[in-house]
Amino acid sequence: MPAKNALKNAFPMILLTIVVAIAVTLLTFTDRLTRDTIEAQEEQKIQDMLSEMFPDMSRYDFEDEIYTIYSDGDKLGYAFIAIGKGYGGDINILVGLEDETTIKGITIISQEETPGLGTRITESPFIDQFMGLNIEDVALSRDGGQIDAITSSTISSAAVVDAVRTTAMEKVKLLKDCE
Amino acid sequence: MGKFGKEFLKGLILSNPVFVLALGLCPVLAISTSIDNALGMTLAVLIVLIGSNIIIAAIRKYVPGITRIPIFIVIIATLVTVVNLIFHARFPDLYESLGIFLPLVVVNCIILGRAEAFASKNPILNSIADALGITVGFMLALLMISFIRQILGTGNLSVFGYDFGNLPVLGENPIVMFILPPGAFLIIGLLLALFRRTGVMKGE
Repeated sequence: MPAKNALKNAFPMILLTIVVAIAVTLLTFTDRLTRDTIEAQEEQKIQDMLSEMFPDMSRYDFEDEIYTIYSDGDKLGYAFIAIGKGYGGDINILVGLEDETTIKGITIISQEETPGLGTRITESPFIDQFMGLNIEDVALSRDGGQIDAITSSTISSAAVVDAVRTTAMEKVKLLKDCE
Repeated sequence: MGKFGKEFLKGLILSNPVFVLALGLCPVLAISTSIDNALGMTLAVLIVLIGSNIIIAAIRKYVPGITRIPIFIVIIATLVTVVNLIFHARFPDLYESLGIFLPLVVVNCIILGRAEAFASKNPILNSIADALGITVGFMLALLMISFIRQILGTGNLSVFGYDFGNLPVLGENPIVMFILPPGAFLIIGLLLALFRRTGVMKGE
């Protein structure tokens, strides 16, 4: 019976299709279920980082990719996200500005650098160097700036420094244009 | 001690996934740079391997021979993604520390290797024992490699933020190469050679 044989031959294919269909349903379902919570968490994470950077923060506005930080009525500063091209991938950095010339501080949001070497860009000896710096001085010391690169992680260090400086300059220009 | 104990114990030495089966070497090379990473990866493997071994042992009688590999791959990839999303949403702290390891588990051939070599031929309970044994064996190997690489490559021994301090000499001048990929190849190769030579672990 050729019809029966054809069915028998097609069975593995049909089964695979069913398995894939179940997998897709399961994935869509989980995605729907978790998407809102995940987004809320990502926002909470940024908010926690902001309030750590600006301890007096009571609220913030988010417009044109710039966070403006307020304490009651007073403006405390600005913050924005800078993206650097690191050794292992993108480095996302939250940069806080005290005013239009001074860095308040930076926090690394995510990075994919070499564990034990490039990952030291997230640690305080490196990131504390940015606190209170004039934007003009955000450069590696070999280029005449104020930041000491991490030994044997020059690419990661330079990526952070360049991203912070260029993005800060862009944002400051944008802020000045708005006024 | 029964079949369960036997299937568990064989994963530790006799079929140690890294040193004997030489499975999952890619993630081992990539993440064996610190003890923190070793433990994080172990936890990710444990969760996914138990899940995939149970599912595959449960459906083993219905899966036709020719399409079993694509079916296993779809099941494992789905499982990893679902676990990843649920962790991201429900256990954000754990996700923070496991975040980079869970997606890596997809390409970890230990999972597919055990599905194909064990879970597709054995009942559920034994497959759980196999998953536990293989994970512990994986952890032992990974800890050994990470410990050596972390000590030589950074001269520092810190585990989960608890710092045991820098070592003399090495702390000042760490041999950075051991943190980088060449160091991983060297250490794994030397350990493999040592275990074969001394007869502690023999190839299957």
